[in-house]
Amino acid sequence: MADGMINLTIDGAPVSVPPGTLVIEAAKQAGVLVPHYCYHPGLPVAGVCRMCLVEIEKAPKLAIACATTVTEGMVVKTQTAPAKDARQGVLEFLLINHPLDCPICDQAGECELQDFVFQEGRARTRYGEFAKRFNPVEDFGPDVLYVPNRCILCTRCVRFMEDVAKEPVLNVSERGDRAFIGIHPEARLDHPWAGNVVDLCPVGSLLSKDFLHKARAWELDKTASICTGCSQGCNITLDTRDEVVVRVRPRPNLEVNRYFICDHGRMHYKWMNRGDRIEAPLVRRDGELKATDWDEALARVQAILRGASGKAVALVSAGASSEALALVKRLLSGFSWTGAFQIVMGEEAPLAGVPNLALRAERAPNAKGAENLGYTREYTQALAAATTAAVVLVLDDADCAVETNGALIYLGTVLGDNAACRRADVILPITNVAEEEGTFTNRDGRDQRYDQAKPAPGMAQPAAWILGELISAMGLAGAPR
Amino acid sequence: MAIGVKVMKRPTEQTSYLRATLKGMALTFSHLLRPKVTMQYPEEKSSKDWTLSSRWRGTHRMLTDEQGRAKCVACGLCPQICPANCIKLVPGEDEQGNRYPLIYEIDEFRCIFCGYCQEVCPEEAIHVGVHYENSEYSRDRFVYDLERLTAQTHPVSTLWDPSDPKGE
Repeated sequence: MADGMINLTIDGAPVSVPPGTLVIEAAKQAGVLVPHYCYHPGLPVAGVCRMCLVEIEKAPKLAIACATTVTEGMVVKTQTAPAKDARQGVLEFLLINHPLDCPICDQAGECELQDFVFQEGRARTRYGEFAKRFNPVEDFGPDVLYVPNRCILCTRCVRFMEDVAKEPVLNVSERGDRAFIGIHPEARLDHPWAGNVVDLCPVGSLLSKDFLHKARAWELDKTASICTGCSQGCNITLDTRDEVVVRVRPRPNLEVNRYFICDHGRMHYKWMNRGDRIEAPLVRRDGELKATDWDEALARVQAILRGASGKAVALVSAGASSEALALVKRLLSGFSWTGAFQIVMGEEAPLAGVPNLALRAERAPNAKGAENLGYTREYTQALAAATTAAVVLVLDDADCAVETNGALIYLGTVLGDNAACRRADVILPITNVAEEEGTFTNRDGRDQRYDQAKPAPGMAQPAAWILGELISAMGLAGAPR
Repeated sequence: MAIGVKVMKRPTEQTSYLRATLKGMALTFSHLLRPKVTMQYPEEKSSKDWTLSSRWRGTHRMLTDEQGRAKCVACGLCPQICPANCIKLVPGEDEQGNRYPLIYEIDEFRCIFCGYCQEVCPEEAIHVGVHYENSEYSRDRFVYDLERLTAQTHPVSTLWDPSDPKGE
């Protein structure tokens, strides 16, 4: 038993938590999920939904688990008849006006109201003879729709905009049974982090226009990944349906992005589904690029590398995995080597309420990782050096304006009609971030792993696999096993 | 004859076929007088004694609303529940912003006619039909699209109701 810890019992299970912990968080440790709507670990406590009522021994009446701090020797019971009755009553009130339109609601399947009503709500309504309140759908912002009928007034969105985004444009308008979430008449919900209100909404009241009617929650495969939108390295979940990425959601990581991602990252997935991908290795034969198999393509690269000496230049993308970047360096270790990456810059957009969290100006996920491996930002110099180099290797940099008199090897996902890389001697198809696993190093030097969400198109392989094959075939030191 | 075949003498009433033939014909002709059980399919498809059960599960039908649009809201429950995986559904949005199926196709060859799609449908849109005449000239005609499903006119199945097991 650690010093300074508070011991309490929740549903018969002993828990020991630091002082100041809320009962609802302590219950999570005991493996008990207290039903709740307004409470969210990333937001200030409001205690408005009254859903998390639990019985605490020696307390005069039921208490809300989200606003009660633990005390020594506390005995909490979540499943007693009074607590269940109270929660059932709350659910019944919520369902007086909540429409039963789950078949057309995007939240169905991941809706907390659905879950808790199924778990402990009444089976039948007692308000069948009364018409439900109806308000039309409102357009809140570039990506947010508000469906007031479904709203249960948990105020998570209001608190997010006020306390986390620090741009208080939402409020609870009117009162009593007429209350709804109102937006400032001259404002739009266009804060760069406003999309988080869609994730925070426990019901289908705030909807993403981008995801509207696109897929049902139970059809989605979920894969842990890292956002490629900027150098912050937010943890995300890629939701795929039939091997197409349809949605990006934040994955909680208290050290990096807490519970949030910005709208730029949220929309930064469409390129992962591109259809115009290179699907087979291409080698230059009689001046023309011809599709071939991996054996011939890799043999051709080996022949080029063995036949050349002197200067080599690697022009890489800062969106390539650290594994691929390290292996490019190893593959070119026999040459006098320079490596550089270019990086798209944008506008920085901080999330005011969370320190050290922003949409960073550097719009690539692995610039730090590339720098750590010895790649430089001197891209123009590297381009100039490439003209006289014996070997130029371009990794995943589709718009690279490379010109060289030496051999050009291009590892990429796409090949534009006028791309400079069309002049390459060998073109090798690689996978994108959703189709491979790898590591990114974010701007704070944190190495984070991402997983494969969907299969690669055609014969494309992860860049790290291709480079590893080449290194071991050439008998270079440090070939990956 | 080299081998002497012994011929047994039998009474005429035991060896004559006449009696047995008359007995058989009597049975045959007695059937002429009994009620007819043969139905003259395809001119006659049901009679007062025999019809398809109202719980028969045949090829599907999509019901429509007053405006003639399919009742389906593309909620995705039928492709989810379908054990044969024969329903293809792509949701979309119409001009009024209502959710509706852009593509709704049922492969009747794959279908095992379990009726789960009808049971699960919250909008009472998709139904299995009381219908069995499905012949076509080509196999691809057995993938029924939304237009075809809404155009069907046969009666729909009343599935088994556990609270009323005998259908009363």
